[in-house]
Amino acid sequence: MLVYIARRIVYVIPIVLSVALVCFMLVHITPGDPLVAILPADASQELANQMRAAYGFDRPLPVQFWLWLWKALNGDLGHSIATGRPVLTEVLRAVGNTVTLAIAAAIIGFTLGLFFGLIAGYFRGTWIDRVATSIAIAGVSVPHYWLGMVLVIIFSVELNWLPAVGAGPGGSSAWGWDWDHIRYLILPAVTTSVIPMGIVTRTVRSLTGDILSQDFVEALRAKGLRETHVFRHVLKNAAPTALAVMGLQLGYMLGGSILIETVFSWPGSGLLLNSAIFQRDLPLLQGTILVLALFFVFLNLIVDVVQAAIDPRIKRT
Amino acid sequence: MRIGINSKAQLFATAMLAVAAMAALPCSGRAESVVRIGMTAADIPRTLGQPDQGLEGNRFAGGTMYDGLTMWDLSSADKPSVIIPGLATEWHVDDKDHTKWIFKLRPAVTFHDGSPFNADAVVWNVDKVLNKEAPQFDVSQVGVTASRMPTLVSARKIDDMTVELTTSEPDSFLPINLVNLYMASPVKWQKFYDAAEGADAKAKSQAAWAAFARDASGTGPWKMSSFTPRERLELVKNENYWDKARVPKVDKMLLLPMPEPNARTAALLSGQVDWIEAPAPDAVAEIKQRGFKIYANEEPHVWPWQFSRIEGSPWNDIRVRKAANLCIDREGMKDGLLAGLMVPATGTYEPGHPWRGNPAFQIKYDLPAAQKLMQEAGYGPNKKLSVKVQTSTSGSGQMLPLPMNEYLQQALAECYFDVKIDVVEWNTLFSVNWRKGAKDPSATGSNAINVTYSAMDPFFALVRFLQSGMAPPVSNNWGYINNPKFDEMVKKARQTFDPAERDKALAELHAASVDDAAFLYVAHDVGPRALSPKITGFVQPKSWLVDFSTMTITP
Amino acid sequence: MSAITDAALQAAPADKARGYWTTVGRRISRDKVSMACAVILALIFLSAVLAPWLGLADPYQGSMIHRLRHIATPGYPLGSDELGRDMLARLVYGGRLSLIIGILPVILGFLIGTSLGLIAGYAGGKVNTAIMRTVDVFYAFPSVLLAIAISGALGAGIVNSIVSLTIVFVPQITRVAESVTTGVRNMDFVEAARASGAGPFTIMRVHMLGNVLGPIFVYATGLISVSMILAAGLSFLGLGTKPPEPEWGLMLNTLRTAIYVNPWVAALPGVMIFAVSICFNLLSDGMRGAMDIRN
Repeated sequence: MLVYIARRIVYVIPIVLSVALVCFMLVHITPGDPLVAILPADASQELANQMRAAYGFDRPLPVQFWLWLWKALNGDLGHSIATGRPVLTEVLRAVGNTVTLAIAAAIIGFTLGLFFGLIAGYFRGTWIDRVATSIAIAGVSVPHYWLGMVLVIIFSVELNWLPAVGAGPGGSSAWGWDWDHIRYLILPAVTTSVIPMGIVTRTVRSLTGDILSQDFVEALRAKGLRETHVFRHVLKNAAPTALAVMGLQLGYMLGGSILIETVFSWPGSGLLLNSAIFQRDLPLLQGTILVLALFFVFLNLIVDVVQAAIDPRIKRT
Repeated sequence: MRIGINSKAQLFATAMLAVAAMAALPCSGRAESVVRIGMTAADIPRTLGQPDQGLEGNRFAGGTMYDGLTMWDLSSADKPSVIIPGLATEWHVDDKDHTKWIFKLRPAVTFHDGSPFNADAVVWNVDKVLNKEAPQFDVSQVGVTASRMPTLVSARKIDDMTVELTTSEPDSFLPINLVNLYMASPVKWQKFYDAAEGADAKAKSQAAWAAFARDASGTGPWKMSSFTPRERLELVKNENYWDKARVPKVDKMLLLPMPEPNARTAALLSGQVDWIEAPAPDAVAEIKQRGFKIYANEEPHVWPWQFSRIEGSPWNDIRVRKAANLCIDREGMKDGLLAGLMVPATGTYEPGHPWRGNPAFQIKYDLPAAQKLMQEAGYGPNKKLSVKVQTSTSGSGQMLPLPMNEYLQQALAECYFDVKIDVVEWNTLFSVNWRKGAKDPSATGSNAINVTYSAMDPFFALVRFLQSGMAPPVSNNWGYINNPKFDEMVKKARQTFDPAERDKALAELHAASVDDAAFLYVAHDVGPRALSPKITGFVQPKSWLVDFSTMTITP
Repeated sequence: MSAITDAALQAAPADKARGYWTTVGRRISRDKVSMACAVILALIFLSAVLAPWLGLADPYQGSMIHRLRHIATPGYPLGSDELGRDMLARLVYGGRLSLIIGILPVILGFLIGTSLGLIAGYAGGKVNTAIMRTVDVFYAFPSVLLAIAISGALGAGIVNSIVSLTIVFVPQITRVAESVTTGVRNMDFVEAARASGAGPFTIMRVHMLGNVLGPIFVYATGLISVSMILAAGLSFLGLGTKPPEPEWGLMLNTLRTAIYVNPWVAALPGVMIFAVSICFNLLSDGMRGAMDIRN
């Protein structure tokens, strides 16, 4: 068990290094001028060459990679070309905002998913099951960026209940957990939550079904145990797996927030990625991808380790 | 901003500051007036003096907090916007040496941090982009600045209120170029530099500029009060602005980046902001219907097709070029496609502009004349002329590139053109293809390119397209126009130092280019913006820039 | 029988697996929801394939006078878009590209991933390590992030968007294929075949493909809906299909600003993505149930 955990942790090191290499390669196969954000198209060729050299883009790629990796290992991801600000602070601020959004969405998605999943599994085969399952399927099938647009039209433009874009009246740096700020979070969080909601519902439903079909539940029932107890038993057994699924979903939400953040102008890592792509801001682009991928790697690690601790039968390689 | 309080002295100082801040609040008890603006930029333009994000950057992070030696006159909605004195009160070229200019500086101007504006500050600001040895030299600002003033070389202090600027060749456009050199406070920067930590001077300089960008200081009518990168920039009025007529009437201005047109419109309609830039044309009816006001005015901007004039191009026949210009129903495009948000183009400049001149060729919609010209050139219903244009899916100033090009495609079909459209990603089109020219493989056989341009400055509006020396790879004469007459006129304009005479020479050049049908002139952008009815007193000039000082807002 | 199950039958090793697949086919044909989805998908597929012969308007031909017409305007059964192009024609033609960029990455991912997984699972040892560790690196990225990063790097375009999504799906399918193969390899009947002198190639082809393919196939069909949403999402961001090609994600993007003028027309491409995606999910669920013979 401990050996497994230790092995799993050691194994993260080569993954992290490979991930860094992939990030760097991805960004450097990008066609186009890396200085496009700060070099107008009508600048002279001479000026362009001079600036390329000043930024080190004239050096061979392996050299650029080692320089970048070495600095990255020391916690320096360089400076954004477009803004001149340090990449790490930009990315961490943005990731913080995305975490706010992802956690809000996770709470909504997990609560609803657990609820729908339990009742669907418990009343398997009835109309309740069918309604809950349909909601779950719709959740994983809806193009969520489209859902976001529809919600903005209804709740912001038509009803004027909730703000359409942004992260609070004072921006994300002045964020607080009061109604003035949470208003801004509702639409993006609800939109983000539909996928985890659907996935948790389906997981919990099938878990509930499995647990209920086990012999000892029948035995408990035969002994005259009340249904609330049966329900509690189901909940206790289904929760760890559901939480693990949710943990992974959190990772997907962190990395996959770009579409929703674009629709809602939520100042998170997705929006940062979007502007880095369209401004061809290479240091920012590779830094953002790297940080998000590392988050995901460590989240995976935590989920694996926790799961192994809860259920030692799981042998993962 | 977080202040670490770790000593009694600091605590005391902070308390005093708080008292001072409270005392400084308006005593009338009236609520602070704030205008919230949704920009189209994806990020706050750089705030350190030389903004990125093109002219929108200059509009919000340039002329608000900073001034140049010269500025655009933004006071009138009717007259063309011309150069007026800014931080320099007067200037002239040296009679003997036409590469030397003398600028007299405006007295008694101070930066937001209280330090004086003087000749040292001008030299320091020129050095920040042109003198590699200067500690404040910042390579990240060079691109957006040096390319706007291609001939400026250096600056020298003559006395406290006089500087001498040197150009690499005689260039009468220098005063126009200088609107783009914004004066940042050297004293403030030096404080950051002294406090900066860094391994070497370069690292310290970079850190100082990063700190300056967070807490900037210029001489402009607005002062920076708070800044959240990528989210918001808050400006407050500068009570001590040197031009009393332009002290802002609103206390505070909040700038929010909202690149997505729909999000912008939704933010306006749901009351989140009071002002949005560039509402989507299709949303204009809804915006108006809800009581918001649409402002628009002709801008120094052209939406053209730039023709290839290389060997074998069909556009080498002037009849074909003229026919295309006569074949477009620009009014139809304006009302049918752009909800009225464009001005039909009959040249780079329209009548009333000092650089318009008197072209003989009248650009208008005249289908029979266009068809006649095409028939003379040997084309007809059964012998179509195949042309191919490169454009983008989107892009700054491109308006609605695909719909507009498809409109042209339909219109030109009436004049026996068979138009093929090659769609290229905006950044590639703008920064690669446009520079490489019509002979390059990147043109994929296109004989026209659709890249819009700003026409504020004669170099960028005329010279770089018409002068033969500007052909690739030097600049943007994409189609290799090689007309000795144009070259001669460019030279004359650049070396005419009397402003009125210079304008006349530019007008002659412009008229000649229209008579030559050098472009397919289609539209001028109108810089549409939608404002809440609570905002009054705003004037939209014929410029990409605006003056935010005149507006007021009722709560 | 729907296009999907046809494809499934072709993909299965014909001789040995027919009995199993027939049972699956019979079971699925009794499932009303799956059949309804299969019919809807078949209709969308057929109309996309047969689009040029359906007597539709030209999906590229616009008319500025007739832009943004409402649904059920004479001559425009589903209205017209921001350039006055017939929405019905664009939605039907749009199905071609949308389905291709949505489904092709899964098919490619299935082919590549299954091959890699089979090799890794059967060979074991160093080969397994080499393949699976490489896969792990790509698996370390959240799928949307990876797709967007690759598309962002390669630039917009149909081929690039297919390539990036394929790269996203290969590791996922390889993992499933490897774990199923490893499981099956140690089963008794494989040992028996090996004992009777069958070569590794024969064992892999005959015994393992039949038992392995089912679960991978079900897993892959479940990815189609994700792929549809992602592919459309890339176009929506401007990283996929380029105008003027009709494609649902791009149509959703370009019609966004028309949402104040004509919200119903602007919503149509989203409805199409939703419909296809939900049908694939339901069908995949139905198949999963039908293939679980033990139940």
